[in-house]
Parts: sequence; structure tokens; C-alpha cells
Amino acid sequence: MENLEAARLQMALTLIFHIVFACIGMVMPFFMVISHYKWLKTKDEIYLKLTKAWQKGVAIFFVTGAVSGTALSFELGLLWPGFMEHAGPIIGMPFSLEGAAFFVEAIALGFYLYGWNKLPEKFHWFTGVIIGISGVLSGILVVAANSWMNAPSGFDYKDGVFSNIDPIKAMLNEAWFTQALHMTLAAFVATGFAVAGIHAYQIYKGRNKPLHKKAFHIAISFAAVAAILQPISGDLSAKDIAERQPAKLAALEAHYETKKGVPLYIGGIVDEEKREVNYKIEIPNALSFLAFGDFDAEVKGLNDFPIEDQPPVAIVHYAFQIMVGIGTLLALAGLLYFLSAKWKHWRVKKRFWLFFTLLTPLGFIALEAGWIVTEVGRQPWIIHNVMRTKDAVTPMPGIFYSLITYSFIYVLLTFVVSWLMIRQINALNNEE
Amino acid sequence: MLSVVLFFLFFSLFLYVLLAGADFGAGIIELFSSRNQQEKTKKTVYRVMGPIWEANHIWIIILIVILWVAFPVYYQIFVVYLHIPITLMLLGITMRGLAFIFRHYDAVKGKSQVWYNGMFKIASVVTPFFLGMIFGGLVGGNIQLFEEGTNQSFADIYIKGWLNPFSILVGLFYVALCGFIAANFLIGEADENNELENYRKKASVATIVLVFFGFLILGYGYWKEVAFVQDFIHNPISIIAIGLSALFLIPLWMMIKRKQKKWTRILAGFQVFFVIAAAMTVHFPHIIITSTKEYSILEGVAPDSVITSLGVALLIGGAIILPGLFHLMRSFQLIKLFKK
Repeated sequence: MENLEAARLQMALTLIFHIVFACIGMVMPFFMVISHYKWLKTKDEIYLKLTKAWQKGVAIFFVTGAVSGTALSFELGLLWPGFMEHAGPIIGMPFSLEGAAFFVEAIALGFYLYGWNKLPEKFHWFTGVIIGISGVLSGILVVAANSWMNAPSGFDYKDGVFSNIDPIKAMLNEAWFTQALHMTLAAFVATGFAVAGIHAYQIYKGRNKPLHKKAFHIAISFAAVAAILQPISGDLSAKDIAERQPAKLAALEAHYETKKGVPLYIGGIVDEEKREVNYKIEIPNALSFLAFGDFDAEVKGLNDFPIEDQPPVAIVHYAFQIMVGIGTLLALAGLLYFLSAKWKHWRVKKRFWLFFTLLTPLGFIALEAGWIVTEVGRQPWIIHNVMRTKDAVTPMPGIFYSLITYSFIYVLLTFVVSWLMIRQINALNNEE
Repeated sequence: MLSVVLFFLFFSLFLYVLLAGADFGAGIIELFSSRNQQEKTKKTVYRVMGPIWEANHIWIIILIVILWVAFPVYYQIFVVYLHIPITLMLLGITMRGLAFIFRHYDAVKGKSQVWYNGMFKIASVVTPFFLGMIFGGLVGGNIQLFEEGTNQSFADIYIKGWLNPFSILVGLFYVALCGFIAANFLIGEADENNELENYRKKASVATIVLVFFGFLILGYGYWKEVAFVQDFIHNPISIIAIGLSALFLIPLWMMIKRKQKKWTRILAGFQVFFVIAAAMTVHFPHIIITSTKEYSILEGVAPDSVITSLGVALLIGGAIILPGLFHLMRSFQLIKLFKK
């Protein structure tokens, strides 16, 4: 395997795992403080038990996220020294603020975990709120750094030299808002459906129902609202990409020929050699409308880009289909949940709980697919239209071995955390 | 603003060496304690460090972010030529994090704890060892920069720079320093007499080992003409700092003997400060020494606009974080010194 491929795979792998840990660590505190709030209001012991159970989850995911985040902060340089040498100073602003936000989160977590019966009740609860807010803030800041790679700004670039650096402008680049919005909602959708699904399974199995039902309702409420809002944010992102990264748009739609009034493909098998898509469903003029708000707008196809500037098509197209497909399904599931508040007899049926159990992993699959779309879709660039990925990779040969090491670490981390979670849930059910 | 950035760079380095060092050291002390004392150490450490455990290990992230934002050229050499020991250190950090989670959050407290403890203790030695080795590699003068058209092998460029006696000695020195910090720190936290006695012994042993490795590094460096050591000996500030640290060993020993909790800790903190000050001033600002060239940290420093915004961010961040951290320590009376 070539060094560049190994480095890209290692980066992808690390991020794929880290994003799961980070999202859960970012969103679970919100569930926890809601449950905590209900405990303070109602003094219903079940809410206290639930809060403490979720608090353990938060602590475990915080440490895992911190560990994989430490590894990542080094990996950026270990794998992409060429990128970090130039980009590091430019995108330093979001990263240093993220460091601060993360630190605040760690301090608030210290207060919260150890503050039971020691701190004043309201202050203690409030430190939980800070964990959530600073977590989301650090997520947004990291995404702002990533969005700069899609919409580089805040510098002048000539003959390989970066000058006139404006770190604030770089942080507030054109893509930061749409990307941060999309990602924050995605984190709530993915974590919400995952947590709700785990509790739905326990209800399905008839274990400790009063507790798991309370847990389910808190988690799914967040997830349902976020899932229903997500398509709007997705539309904003698509229009953004259409304007700024036309090659990425063409790749995610597997759109080869420049035309007016372009249809939207649903599904389809991409033939990268013949440069065509087979077995697809076409919705006439839909892509032109979605990208530019005009049914007859011209959409530039991949064939009009130089071959060395084209991203891989098949993987981006499939990932995009998966993301949109799951996103639609989850938005419908969110609606279904709100409807079930009116038709309460649905919630008595086992099928209802089985349905939400089956949705458990889907949010995260969509989230990972979305990152594949944005990251692979940006290729061959590491900084869009400025620096190519191959020019940023480390000169050290043998990254393949590093890839193996990191794969081992992250697979281990995943097993460990899942195993711990199962033991936590079992302990929770057995207490009863 | 550059001075603000440099201040925070060394400030986070100092806190990481001290606080993470105390945490690594606690694992090292566990490794060398009897089974009964191991449990006690584990409990004491968790009580004292638990709430700030996560925060202690974030200093290294702050450190690395400052490096890459403000000193990109320096950072680039660091990550390219020391790729392998950095990866090994990250392995250690990951293993420790895992073991920490297991020790404290596993819902089932059973036999499996033996494994977690073992993993924790091993990682507690391995991580600071590689950290020390990385520093040894940075200043040891063994890094061979890549040169077009020469016949350098993989080992020449990526291995010999850090895998050499000097780096290994520095690695061992930092392991000893961690043990030293933790033992002196724990003296003030012990609840019972035999626990106190245990830490007192460990503190004495660690001090001897530390001084031994310190001399070994200087001796070896002098004999092999390691540039860092040569300059160390001829740099008045370093000599004064290390001389002061030697001088302060005497009151430290007296305080350890008298089981004087407060002063033991303060004097041990002095030692760390002097060691870092001595090591950092030797070559400042030339903190990378390769076989052919000395690199200044200020070489290729980021443009003013970047330094200014980073400085402002650090000042604001510091103004929020430091009081928060202090309040956290006080609220839980983490440290007995804060008890009224």
C-alpha cells in the first residue's frame, strides 16, 4: 500500500471512531441534565437513578473522546506535516478556542461528577449544563476548522507562499455556519436515536420499563426535533456546495455531463470507467432546482473538470445516497414519535419499540456517510483549490504499520467501550 | 504578544510535566508498592486527582496547539523526525486512559480489576519514558535531517535520532521525576501512618534515583560530547538552576524526614521548576538540536496577526480556565493544603 493511501486510510479510520465518541460525549450531557432537572422538580427516584446512569456514560465517553482527541491532535501533524506547517497558523483560532472550550468542559465535568451532595443543588445542575454547552461549542469550533479546508479564506496565496493571514476571517469562512449547523443537528440525531434505541430495546425486552421509558422519551425528543430540522440544513449545505465546490456536487450526484435542467438520481450503480450511472431512478429537473433554486439551471458535470481535479465518484455518490436515505427515514421516525403522543395506543405495541430498536445505529451510519461525502468529495485537495493531499503527506515511509497500530487501538477502544456499556445497562437492570 | 504565547507554552509545559507527571508517578508508586498499599494509593490518588484527572491531561493538547499555531516550522521537524516515539507515547496515553476508565467505571468490580491495574501500571511507566525520550531526541543532537542525494537509510532519519543512550537516559530521568513528584505530593495526603511511611520511603528512593540519573546524563553527555550537555555545563543560568535544585534537596530531605506535608510539596515543586528551567534555558531559543544544525523555536514563527489572535485567545481562555480550575480544587478540598 502506498504511503499516501495508508495515511488517508489512517486519518479516515481515526476520524470515523473519534466522531462517534465525540458526538456522544457532546449530546449525552443534555439528556443527563434534563433527567437531573426532572429529578429536582419531581423528586422521582427513577430520574435520579437515570441521571447517575447517564452520568457514567458521559464520563466514559468523555475520557474516550479525550484520549482519541489527543491522538488526533498529534496525528494531524504526524500524517500531514505539509498541511499543518501552512494551515496550522491560519486555522489556529478555532483550534485554540476549542482547546479552551474543551478545558472548560473538563472542569465542569469535574464539578458535576464529584459534586453530588457537596455542591448547592442548582449550581451542581448548572455545571452539567456547562458540560453540554462547552461540548457543543468545541464541536462547532472543530467543524469551523474543517470547513476552512472546504472554503479557504483569510490569506493570500501565491507561488506556494501564504501571506496576509487573518485568523478571524479564516475561522468565520463561508462554510462554517452551514457545516456547523448540519453537524450539530447530526450529532443530536445520531446520539438521540442511538440512546433511544438502546432503551427501546430494554422496553421491548420488558426490563425495568419505568426507567427505560423515561430515558427513551428524553432522548427521542431531542432526536426527533433535530431529525425533522435536518433536511432544511441539508438543503442549505447543498446550495453552498453547488456554489463553491461544483466538482463535489457533481461527484455526490454522479453527474458527468454539463447540462441544463438536470435530473436528480436516486440510487444507481456508478460505472467509473464508462462514466455513467446505471439502474437509477430519475426525478426530472430536481438537481437543478435543489442546487440553484431554478428548474432549468445549468449544473456543471464532472467531464468539464480536469481529470486530476476530480474526486472519486462512486464512493461519494453511494455515501450521499445513504446519508439522504437514512436522514429521510429518521425524519419520518421523528414525525411518527410526535404522532404517537396523540395516538397513545401505538406505544403499547411491541412493534413500536422494535421499530425504534432497529433505528439504533442508523443515525451514526448517516453521520459517517456524511463525513465521507464532505471529505472524499473534497479530494484531491486537502485545502480546496490550494493544496493537494499528496503534497501534504509525511515523507516518512511505512505509514502502513502506523495504520495497523492505530486500527488496533481504535478497534480495541470500541470493543472496550461497548463492553462497558453493556455491563452498565445490565447492572442497572439487575439493581431493580 | 509573542511573550504571552511563549509564557503559555512554557506554563502548559510546566503544568503538564508536574500534574500529568504526578499522575504517571502515582501509577509508578503503585507498581512498586505492596498489594495492600497499592489499594490505598489507588484510593488516595483517586480522591485527590479524580475531579481534575481529565483537566491534567488537557495541558498537552494546549501545548501541541500552541506549537503548531505559533511555531509551525519547529512543529514540523518535531512531528516528522520523532514520528515513532510520539506514536509510542500516544499508545501509552491511550492504554492509560482505557485502564483509568476500567478501574473506575466498570459496573462489575471483580477479578478483571487485576488486569486493569496491571495495564495502568505498565502504561504509567511507558508513557513518561517515551515523553522523556522525545525530549532527549529533540536536544540530543542525533536527529539527521533529510538531505537530497545522500545515502540515508530509514533508521538514520527516523530511528537513530531518538533511539540512543542519551535519549534513553532522559526517558528514565523523567520516569524517576514522575515518581518523585507523586511520592512527595502524596506525603501530604496520606490518612494513616503506614501509608505515610510508604510514601516517605518512596520519596527518598525516588530522590536518590533522580539524582543518580541526573548525574548519569551529565556524565554521559560530557564523555560523549553531547552538545546539549556541553552547553548545559557552560550556561550560567542552567548551572545556577541546577545548583539551586541541589541546594534545595537538603531542606526537602529534612522535611520528608519530619513528615512536614506542606513544605515537602512546595520544595518538590521547586525541584521540577528548576529542572525544567535548567533544561529550557540551556539553548533557548534553540530547542531542537540536530546533527548538523540547531533550530530556534523562533525560526519561522507565525506572522504577527496569528500571534496576536492566539495571544488574545490564550489570555481569555486562561482567565476563564485558571480560576475555574482553582475553584474546582478548592470546592472539593482536593488538596489538603486548601483545608482551613
